[in-house]
Amino acid sequence: MTTQERKFMEALRRKFKESPEEKYTKFYVYGGWKQSKRKIEFFEWSQKIAKERGIPMYNPDLHLGGGPGQRVLMPYQISGTDIFVEPDDLHFVNNAAMQQMWHDIRRTVIVGLDAAHTILTRRLGKEVTPETINHYLEVLNHALPGAAVVQEHMVETHPAIVSDSYVKVFTGDDELADEIDDRFLIDINKEFPANQAAQLKPAIGKRIYQVLRMPTIIAMTCDGGTMSRWAAMQISMAMINAYRLMAGEAAVGEFAFAAKHAEVLEMGTLMPWRRVRSPNEPGGIPLGYLADMCQASRIKPEDPAWCALETISMAAVLYDQFWFGSYMSGGVGFTQYATATYTDNILDDFCYYGMDYVRKKFGGYAKAKPSWDIVRDVATEITMYGLEGYERWPAAMETHFGGSQRAACVAAGAGVTVSIATGVAQAGLNGWYLSQLLHRESAGRLGFYGYDCQDQCGSTNSFSWRSDEGLPFELRGANYPNYAMNVGHQSAYAGIVEAAHVARGDAWCVNPLIKVAFADKNLKFDFTRPRLCFAKGALREFMPAGLLDPIIPPR
Amino acid sequence: MSELTYKPQYYPGSSIVAKNRRKYLDPNYQLRKLRSISDEDIVRLLGHRAPGEAYKTVHPPLEEMGEPDCPIRKLVEPTPGAKAGDRIRYIQFTDSVYFAPLAPIIRCWVYHTRWRGVDPGSLSGRCPLEARERDVELISRELLETELFDPARVGVRGATVHGHSLRLDENGLMFDMQRRYKYDPSKGEVVYVKDQSGKPLDKPVYVGKPLPEEELKKMTTQFRVDYISLRDDAEVMEFVQRLHWLRTLAGADPNLAKNV
Repeated sequence: MTTQERKFMEALRRKFKESPEEKYTKFYVYGGWKQSKRKIEFFEWSQKIAKERGIPMYNPDLHLGGGPGQRVLMPYQISGTDIFVEPDDLHFVNNAAMQQMWHDIRRTVIVGLDAAHTILTRRLGKEVTPETINHYLEVLNHALPGAAVVQEHMVETHPAIVSDSYVKVFTGDDELADEIDDRFLIDINKEFPANQAAQLKPAIGKRIYQVLRMPTIIAMTCDGGTMSRWAAMQISMAMINAYRLMAGEAAVGEFAFAAKHAEVLEMGTLMPWRRVRSPNEPGGIPLGYLADMCQASRIKPEDPAWCALETISMAAVLYDQFWFGSYMSGGVGFTQYATATYTDNILDDFCYYGMDYVRKKFGGYAKAKPSWDIVRDVATEITMYGLEGYERWPAAMETHFGGSQRAACVAAGAGVTVSIATGVAQAGLNGWYLSQLLHRESAGRLGFYGYDCQDQCGSTNSFSWRSDEGLPFELRGANYPNYAMNVGHQSAYAGIVEAAHVARGDAWCVNPLIKVAFADKNLKFDFTRPRLCFAKGALREFMPAGLLDPIIPPR
Repeated sequence: MSELTYKPQYYPGSSIVAKNRRKYLDPNYQLRKLRSISDEDIVRLLGHRAPGEAYKTVHPPLEEMGEPDCPIRKLVEPTPGAKAGDRIRYIQFTDSVYFAPLAPIIRCWVYHTRWRGVDPGSLSGRCPLEARERDVELISRELLETELFDPARVGVRGATVHGHSLRLDENGLMFDMQRRYKYDPSKGEVVYVKDQSGKPLDKPVYVGKPLPEEELKKMTTQFRVDYISLRDDAEVMEFVQRLHWLRTLAGADPNLAKNV
């Protein structure tokens, strides 16, 4: 591939004044941290705050060696867009879109309605019809954000603060869907391409599922375990109201049981004691679920690389920045590192080269039967292509100045490409590990201690499915033992899963319910184009939910 | 101790890069001495004690301790620092991607094959070595005076280590945010003005002239596409691929890896 065709060249030219091929530059002449508009803004704010509170705050001159900016503090292009941002804008504290993505995931639970309908019809002799379902949904849309439906003297929440809370339903039954009020329906036929809808509807069948979005403010102030409880309480109350039940009759307890246990699908599972968190926290979200939450495959199903890259950006923010970067370690370092997979089109370059290689070599996607020969050929080719990208263009090497960044991107390119070639995520995973070993042996370096630890033993578990030794790749995640402190890997792993299934033409990776639940225009975050959404967050153009303006003094 | 029953091969491959790896890993290979640095200057550069200051200890000399009867202790000769009860100290290097003689993983292996009583670590941008203080000083001499070091492409850094992947400055020096060293054009040498942890030195430490890049290429252990790519060394490539596949098979089912 020629220089002009490399996708990262535009970003490199914007970052540095020298040509991307140039190996020499100057240091210590850029004005330190004052070369960054964002850091100047931080400093000015900090001066004001320190004066008000009487305690000193942000002062980059306290950094060892004279402060940041002894070299160029480079801007970053959000991959797949033409938007350049400062790296500070990609820390989730500074990016409202990143926060909202996580809130939109955490505040979601899916609850089947069939158990409740069975109780109503068979035990209580009530009639359930599309009309009663629509009425129930209207009641629940009143109750779910935090309103009363039974008690006459009850506190309630301010609608302007919880405006993002609602319930919708979906079903695989076209006839039933036709009868549901459009305001409450996620219409599979409208949201998905025809061939995907044709896969999804039989998988879901005639069952009907509620997708419940608890208020973002609840996600911000409570934990993921709150969500199914909040939902179950309001579901039970809405049932009492909509079907005129006795408050406290035994059936109500069964609605709560169904909503909390029998019919609920949490987004993330519980974690073991040493990393314990409630359900619906990032560490418990399997890779395949995350890939299903990403909706890129509805938009460009013909482009598995693009779908994988969009998924990777979500996973980088969720797993690397939120989970590993904050829940598990604290501090800010992980963001600088995690942004590598979704900035400057470097990983895009590797993935698109790989997809092109696969198309030419195998005549299409998911056409190569998984084998050692395929993994070796494809993963080696993309690994060497990736390493050559860094070695031919010193500006690319400096852009990904941490070895873990380069290792993640090169191996992600290899893994995604093997997935596209074979349509099998497990083979993609094996390609990832081969890439890591080749990279390490070629450069004589890889990542930091905790980074490549997993990669030295990863080959051995890549085809293991037995519990505690392995799992089907789609079901692994940060909760899988070998990945418990696996920063910089989960992001790419989610993309490797996504790439395999999009290459096959699958409508979903693991769970059709998750896929449909996030095909929802009313979500604040745009799950079809996460990278663009993060860019808007960085530009301060993203409006999140859960704002407290109605209840705080005017500013 | 009994002799090994096989001859260690250390590393596969026919390229100059592979040969260099093999050479440096072999403790029987005498490293070429390229420069001299005084004992005092090494102590200054490390920054753990002042020149002439006694070593701080964390336990009495082993001879005075009355050690328990232990077969392992009989088997393993303590290092000088351990015998004396020295505290644990370190030296840490950053190796540039631009043809530094070593890279962190190779550096780590070299530490393991050449010295005892060392605790190395390997990251992409640095490689710490921890050991008893006088042992660190002895090892540091070899690391700084021989072909394993280049004043421009290798840095001695305790913290704020970054620079390995950055472009080089106008004198060909690797970036160091703390500016522990600079190029002295009058002597054509690199001079440290701060110790490895960034504390200013009362007297500068000269560590010699940067080697020409053509010379560095002959010494490097890093494969690079603009010199010798891993693609060019079929034996190393196949070795890594085979290792990965054997691990894959044995991990899935040990029987699968038999006779492969």
